[in-house]
Amino acid sequence: MEVNIENTGNKTFVVLNGRLDTTTADKFMQDITPLMQGDNPDIEMDCTGLEYTSSQGLRMFLMLQKSVTARKGNLVLKNMKPQVKEVFDITGFSNIIKIV
Amino acid sequence: MEYNLDFHCQMILDEYRENMAIFEKMKEIVREQLEKCVSDNNIYVTAIETRIKTENSLAGKLELKGHKYKFLSDITDILGTRIITFYTEEVDKISALIDKIFEVDWENSVDKRKALDLDRFGYMSLHYICRIPKSLYYDAEHSELNDYRFEIQMRTALQHVWATMYHDTGYKSGIEVPKEHLRNMNRLAGVLELADEQFSRIRKEINDYRRNVESLVADGNFDDVNLDSDTFRSYLTMKPFKKLIDKIATINQAEIYEDNLMRYITTLLKMGFRTLGDLQRLIKECSDDAYKLALHQLSATDLDILALSVALQNLCIVYIIKKGGGEVGLRMFYDSVFGESDYNIEHARRTFEQITKINIK
Repeated sequence: MEVNIENTGNKTFVVLNGRLDTTTADKFMQDITPLMQGDNPDIEMDCTGLEYTSSQGLRMFLMLQKSVTARKGNLVLKNMKPQVKEVFDITGFSNIIKIV
Repeated sequence: MEYNLDFHCQMILDEYRENMAIFEKMKEIVREQLEKCVSDNNIYVTAIETRIKTENSLAGKLELKGHKYKFLSDITDILGTRIITFYTEEVDKISALIDKIFEVDWENSVDKRKALDLDRFGYMSLHYICRIPKSLYYDAEHSELNDYRFEIQMRTALQHVWATMYHDTGYKSGIEVPKEHLRNMNRLAGVLELADEQFSRIRKEINDYRRNVESLVADGNFDDVNLDSDTFRSYLTMKPFKKLIDKIATINQAEIYEDNLMRYITTLLKMGFRTLGDLQRLIKECSDDAYKLALHQLSATDLDILALSVALQNLCIVYIIKKGGGEVGLRMFYDSVFGESDYNIEHARRTFEQITKINIK
C-alpha cells in the first residue's frame, strides 16, 4: 500500500495505490496521521490505484473524515474503482464520505 | 490636551485620568460577566459592546453640564455597555439576570421603552445603572471599583438600528432638526416596534408548532405530522431505523456508525412521502426486503462496520423497486442522495441486478 502526499497551496493531494487491508492498515494509518494533524484540512484523495479496502480501511477513512470535519475542511475521494466503490455503497459509507 | 474647564470640572477630569486602570478592570469584569450570563442561559445576542468614555467626550460633557456633577462617581456612563438582542423578550430576560449579577441603582435606571408620553413615539432601550457588588469582585486597595457606577443599555437589533439612525439625524448636535423629519423618524419607530412584535410572534408560533409536533410524534400520531426537516429531526430521535440496522448488523456482527440521516429529507420528499405515517409504513412494509438486500450484499464479505444510513438507503431502494421505478428510479434516487455523478449509473445497475435476485414481496 503506497500513500503519496503532496501539499500545494490550500489543498493536500493524496494518491493511494494498492490494497488497504489488515496487513497494510498499520502503515496506512502511519502515513495518513500527518493529515489528521495538519492545518490544511482540505484533502483530495486519488483512489485510481486503490484495489480494495477492508473494514479496517473504512474505519481509517472515517477517522480522517471526522478529523477533517472538526477542522472545518473537506475530504473528497476521487476516481474510485467499481469494486472499491461497492464496499463504500453497501456499508453506507458513501453517505459519510464524499466520493466524486 | 487642554479643555475649557473650570477648576471643579478639571478635578473631575484628573480623577478620571488617574483611575483609568480601575475603569479598565471594571470593563473586563462586566464584559466577562455579561458574556457568561448570555452563554449560561442560552440567550442569543447580536452583540455585547463595552466602551470607556473617551477623555474628549468626558471633557465635552463637563463643559456642557459639569455643574451637575460633584464627583466623578456622579457620572454613571464612564463605563458603558450595550447588549443587542434579537427579540424583545430577551431584553427582559437579560435585565432580570443583570439584576442578579450586579447591584442595580433603580433610582437612576430607566426603561426608556415605557418613559415615552402616549402622544410620542421613539424606539428606545432599557438603561440600567449598576455597580459591581463586593461579592462579585473586591480589591481592598481599589475599593473605588465598587463605588463607580456604569451603564448597561439593552435593546433589540431593530431598536439599535432606530437609535443609531436617530442619533445620525443630529438630535444632539444643537441644531434643531425640522419637525417633519423627526415625525418621519417617529413613524419609522412605530414600524420597527411592530416588526419586533411580529418577529416575537412568529418565533412563538414556530416554537408552539415544534412542541405540538414533538407531542404528536411522542404520542405516535404519525399520520397527523407532515414530513419536513423539523418533524424528521424529531422523528429520528425515536430511532425508527434501529431495529432494521441492528438486524442487518447481525449479518457480519458489525459495529454501527450513527451517521446523520437528515441529508435524506429532500430525497424522501421527492419520493412522495408526505407524513411521518408514510415513513412508518415504509418501515413496516419494506424492512424484510431491505434486510434481504443487505444479506445478499454483505454475507459474502467480512465487512464489519456499517453506517446507520444503510437501513434507510435499503428501505428506499426496496420501495422504488416495489413501485416499479426500476434501474432509472434507482439512479434518480442516488443522484438525489449523493449528487449527480457517473458513479450512480453503475451503482444503480449493480443494485438493480442484486435486487432482481431477491424475491421481493
